[in-house]
This record gives sequence, C-alpha cells and structure tokens, in this order.
Amino acid sequence: MITIELNGEQQVLSGDASVNDLLSIIGSDGKTVAVMVNEHIIRPENRSATLLQEGDRVEILVFAGGG
Amino acid sequence: MDFLQLGSYSFSSRLILGTGKFSNAKVMLEAVRASGAQLVTVALRRFNRQQAEDDLFAPLSTIEGITLMPNTSGASTAAEAVRAAHIARELSGSPFIKVEIHPNPQHLMPDPIETYEACRILAKEGFLVMPYITADPVLAKRLEDAGCASVMPLGSAIGSGQGLAAAEMLSIIIRESNIPVIVDAGLRSPSEAAAALEMGCGAVLVNSAVAVAGNPPEMAEAFAGAVVAGRKAFRAGLMQKSGSALATSPLTSFLEAKA
Repeated sequence: MITIELNGEQQVLSGDASVNDLLSIIGSDGKTVAVMVNEHIIRPENRSATLLQEGDRVEILVFAGGG
Repeated sequence: MDFLQLGSYSFSSRLILGTGKFSNAKVMLEAVRASGAQLVTVALRRFNRQQAEDDLFAPLSTIEGITLMPNTSGASTAAEAVRAAHIARELSGSPFIKVEIHPNPQHLMPDPIETYEACRILAKEGFLVMPYITADPVLAKRLEDAGCASVMPLGSAIGSGQGLAAAEMLSIIIRESNIPVIVDAGLRSPSEAAAALEMGCGAVLVNSAVAVAGNPPEMAEAFAGAVVAGRKAFRAGLMQKSGSALATSPLTSFLEAKA
C-alpha cells in the first residue's frame, strides 16, 4: 500500500495503482478532469501508464463556475 | 459585419458571460443561451465527488458556438497563474486565458506586477491572453506591448455593482489601445454595459449582474440588447456635448400678434 496526497488530503492506494485507477476509485470517468502529479500534467493517453508512488502529490481539477 | 477580434478569433457577440454565482447549472446554461455570448469564462476547482454538479465542462459543451475562456482565479503569483493556464488549456483546448491574480480577498484588486509577468510568459507561449487589471493606462499599454490579445480593466471592484466608476481612466485606455478593451467587473445594469460600448470598449464581461438577478436568463438577454445598442451608437458617432442649449426647432417667431 502507498499513501499519496490527493487534492490536499491523504489517500491510501494499492502499490501498483495508476492515475486511471485513482480516477475510477474517486468516481470520475476522467473525461472532464485535468490531472497533475507533482505539478506535471498527465495527459489522458498517459494516465494508465503512469503509476503512482508513495508521497506523490496529485491534483484533480475540473471547470467550475467563475467570472 | 462588425466583429470583436481577439487574435485570429472573430466574435459577433460583444458580451462575455461569467458562470460563477448562479443558483444552479440549469439557470446558468439558460442564461448563457439567452445572452448569445460566444466567450464564456470558467474557473478551475478541485474535483469533489460530493459536488459533481460543480463540473460545468460537460453541460457547457452542449451549447453550440461557445468558446471557453478559463480564468486563473485562485492564483496569487505569476508562477501559479502560468501553471493554472497550462492546466486550463489541457482541459479546455481553448487558447484563451483570463489572467486573474488577486492576492487580497478583501478587495480582489489585481496584482499588476504578477499579472504582467504571467501575461508576458503566456503570450510568448501562444495563449490568447486576457488580463484582468485595474484601469491603469500605463499598465494596459505595457500588456499590449507584451502581446496580450486584449486588456480587461475593471469598471469597479469585482461583484460590487458600482458600474463604470473608473470611466475616466477607461476612456484613456481605449484611446491609447490598439487591442480591444473589455470592461471586466463591477457592472450592475445593462445601461452601464451600453455606456461602456458607447465609449468604445470592444466588449464587456458580466457575471454577478446576471447570476444574482431575479431572473438571470432575462437579465442576460437585457445585457445582450444593451451591448448591441451601445456598439451601434459608438459606430454611429455620438453628438458632441455642449455647454449651452442648441435649438432643434426653428426659433423664428410667427405667432406674434400683428400690431
């Protein structure tokens, strides 16, 4: 098991979890989100190949209302 | 036709609508449709499963003919704004970025130094940069020289409804600019939007005035009409003001009784 920081909060994952796995765990189809791992953008085509590591800082962002 | 030209993009609508502060997504979408806006702003927020309805990307994609203009709200430095712009472009596929860097939540005034730095970098990277700034003619010129697609000075503080409090400075910016000047923030009523367009602004960006109106879609339509009227008046050429009365009817007396 590994612990990552997801949107500022601790999240425990299995050791071989990819970004795509994380998206399904949190209930996102991944289509309308942007993902950053340690401040690097992970494009949709690279999400299944990107495995998360202990201590990674992950930000998952959406478009919300704003002026 | 008379278009708002931003980079290589041409828009027939001169009303840009913000999507914040609406009571729900349905009302927001109705207002966007009613406004006829072709540029719509959105903000980045952390994904939250409990607030799935906050994700506006899919609902906004159902409206044809709109281009997203994400903002960098939440950034308090140039580096943060540049990072936000990269993420936003990844998500939207849109080259537009509204650079918005306001470190103080009490007054939400934009930081001119961080804003300039972020704009300089993003313009070089090929973004169509739309900076939210105070109505400062010198800063506006510097941003134009840095390659911004427009400048977006505030009419008055964000969400204040104080209208065109900065009118005098705005008119200097308009006179000096070779890129569209878009009044962003502070507008409360359609008449203020019309006044901005009459002054020669390229467009207005409105959010609160529509979002918190009693009937947002109707207010959106009212703003759309005002912007068209204001632009038409600007193009038609307003009469000069005069300090004294100038008659519109003949003043020759002909009703005086003959002696």
